[in-house]
Amino acid sequence: MIELENLVKHFGDVHAVDGITLTVPRGEFFCVLGPNAAGKTTTIKMMVGLIRPTSGSARVAGFDLQSQPLEARARLSYVPDFPFLYDKLTPWEFIRFTGQLFRMPDDRIRTEAEELIPRFSLEPWLHKPIEGLSHGTRQRVAIASALLHRPEVFVIDEPMVGLDPHHARIVKDLLRERSRQGMTLFLSTHQIEVAEEMADRVGIIHHGRLMAVGTPEELRRRAGVDGALEQAFLTLTRPPEAKAVDLSSCGEVP
Amino acid sequence: MTGTFPSPLRLLVGTAVRSMWRRVVSLRDQSWLLLALITAFLSGYAVLAFALFYGGLRFIGRFPGLGGLLVERLLFLLFACLFGLLLISNLIVSYTNLFRNRETAFLLTLPVPRQVVFQWKLAESTVIASWAFLFLIAPLLVAYGLVHQVAWHFYPMVLLMIGLFIGLPGILGCWLAVQVARFMDRRTFQVALVLGVSLLVAVLVLRFRPTTVTEESLETARVLNVIDRLLDNTRFAQFPLLPSYWLSSSVQNWGEGAVRAALFFFSVLLSHVLFFGMIAVLWLGDAFYEASSVVHSRGSLLARWDWFRRREERRRRSSDPIARLSRPVLLETLLAWRGILAPDVRALIAKDVRVFWRDTTQWGQAFMLFGLLTVYIVNLRHFTRQLDSPFWISLVSYLNLGACSLNLATLTTRFVFPQFSLEGKRVWVVGLAPIGLVSLVRLKFWLTSWTTLGVTLGLILLSCSMLGLDAAHTLFFAAVIVVMTFTLNAIAVGLGALYPNFRETNPAKIVSGFGGTFCLVLSFLYIVGSVVLLALGSPWGWRPEAVGEFRPYHALASGTAFLGISLLSGAVPLRMGFRRVAATEL
Repeated sequence: MIELENLVKHFGDVHAVDGITLTVPRGEFFCVLGPNAAGKTTTIKMMVGLIRPTSGSARVAGFDLQSQPLEARARLSYVPDFPFLYDKLTPWEFIRFTGQLFRMPDDRIRTEAEELIPRFSLEPWLHKPIEGLSHGTRQRVAIASALLHRPEVFVIDEPMVGLDPHHARIVKDLLRERSRQGMTLFLSTHQIEVAEEMADRVGIIHHGRLMAVGTPEELRRRAGVDGALEQAFLTLTRPPEAKAVDLSSCGEVP
Repeated sequence: MTGTFPSPLRLLVGTAVRSMWRRVVSLRDQSWLLLALITAFLSGYAVLAFALFYGGLRFIGRFPGLGGLLVERLLFLLFACLFGLLLISNLIVSYTNLFRNRETAFLLTLPVPRQVVFQWKLAESTVIASWAFLFLIAPLLVAYGLVHQVAWHFYPMVLLMIGLFIGLPGILGCWLAVQVARFMDRRTFQVALVLGVSLLVAVLVLRFRPTTVTEESLETARVLNVIDRLLDNTRFAQFPLLPSYWLSSSVQNWGEGAVRAALFFFSVLLSHVLFFGMIAVLWLGDAFYEASSVVHSRGSLLARWDWFRRREERRRRSSDPIARLSRPVLLETLLAWRGILAPDVRALIAKDVRVFWRDTTQWGQAFMLFGLLTVYIVNLRHFTRQLDSPFWISLVSYLNLGACSLNLATLTTRFVFPQFSLEGKRVWVVGLAPIGLVSLVRLKFWLTSWTTLGVTLGLILLSCSMLGLDAAHTLFFAAVIVVMTFTLNAIAVGLGALYPNFRETNPAKIVSGFGGTFCLVLSFLYIVGSVVLLALGSPWGWRPEAVGEFRPYHALASGTAFLGISLLSGAVPLRMGFRRVAATEL
């Protein structure tokens, strides 16, 4: 469902993504972990067609993001860590707008929305301007509208940021449920416990490369650690040699 | 299937119209004082501009035998300048709208064709970049119509012509923005901008050398020839391939009743808009996507070259980033000179200087505003050869004072006013630092005042020098601009602290609220009031017959009133701002 083939992205002389090859089959819940600036967001941006790869290809549901962007995006949904919403619209207007862009008939928009709105407890806010909503509520509106057209592939960056534990649980359950129904999930997060709890497979990106892929158990085995996935992650992404730094010479500027 | 769903473009336009309507409706919830202020300011501008244009056009039109020619040339010049300004405005707005806009990134992840995203952004950018210009020139066109007693259909036709005309700089600006995005990074753009503006200034300074007219030349040559020579520098506005030429010709011909000629130029304009519009709509979408990908993928543009990559690699290997920490930085070394400034004060100043320098918008606008003023002032040396009357020299010197202060007011409102709100946003570091918020605001006031004083004082001294004013006049204007610079900064800092907006991160949106509008209006009223007061009470007289005689009592009275107004306008908001900040709960 998601096929990344030798994906490379250079920003000037920086190799942000350096030859990632990965296949995520239909219905799999895939989590990607990695330190800051590891190349996760760049990989996602290429996967959703926001930027061109320097080389290699990204295919979603069999469609290449560069040569068949519309076909690919029609089957895809992407929610970034700080999603864009039209401040002057209400959540219902935004949800309907998104559905229409995905060419959904009005009655289908209503049916899908009637399922999602109560699950995300959006009823009290449905007809109030988005500009007045809290970050968590905005995040819920973004996720609900992204799931509205029942995408075949759902890419989401840090979905739990700003969500209270109650709604974080709802999002997790819903994503799991959709995954069981055949939706492929590609989730990027720093919350290792989310990956451990939710993912069928976890990928670790470091220095633009896919360092390891497997089930949490496989990753633990590969790292040679027991216990939480965090230990495996830290072992696999540990810098070669931590350098002791003496800052005593960094005094005031004369 | 296609026919059953609204097109994406229609959906986007519908959403924008709905958002706009909500903004208008939300005005009901705004402060009535703000609404009254904005309405009064806008209507005041329209009425004043109309009166000035009407009087000016009638005055010029009365020149025997030359009136028509001068008005015609002025209109050509106006539309040519308008074209240039619209082009710059469209370039800036399009760049921001295409490559720095979150809606664009959002739309690019949806099943909306790139062409449609580009078409929507092109239309949106053109409207945003052009509406203010239409508002600015509307009084002129009404005045032109009334002076020339045109038929009623002139007005809707002109509206249509201008509507078409703005399309061309819109398309060209968008195309340029795409090219800039594809081939320039921030640093290259900054260098190119500085070089471009410097080149423009040099060309303007060298190109516009007015011809000296003597009584003798007026006697020997035909007056028309002399005028034509005098206007030679504006002849570029009549270059027949300029879109502004087609617009001016169609407007003037329609006004004169030469409908066939007007329709010809109108058709030329229409065909060009359709031709380039079609190219943009059909083909620029892919180039836009390419540029968008480049913008979001950019390291340094220089990294394309091997020599740069090798140099960076060498630097990376040879320099230890930790060792760099103890290397002195020029800016901080300068600020630490003799230990006059406390470390926290130095840190805040260094931060503000860095933020200013790294924000192209801030220094680009300051550079543009004061650069244009410098060009004008430098060119005064040509005027003074013809301005032998002390009255005109005195008038021009006061007008320069007004222009310089108005430029400053634009910058203080746009950049100084929102500073406190933005610092409040960073409360976790600046607001909680031991320096305290009141000291922070006080520091902002002193820093912005002294920095801007360097520019305003320099310009006024240059103006006095170009006008050949004596030491007493120069000292007088220098003292006045010092007071006005501090007052305008006090207004911006004080009102910024009095009307903060901690929710907003975009300075432009902070300025568009009540406090920002109030700041602009108060600064404007202060400048107009002060300049008029000082000019009327000038120690060297005002009426043409009185210029030259020294009037100490007038000077004392107007000087005292000016200082009083300055104190009232500046110190009161600043003190109130300090008090408000002391009581602020962030």
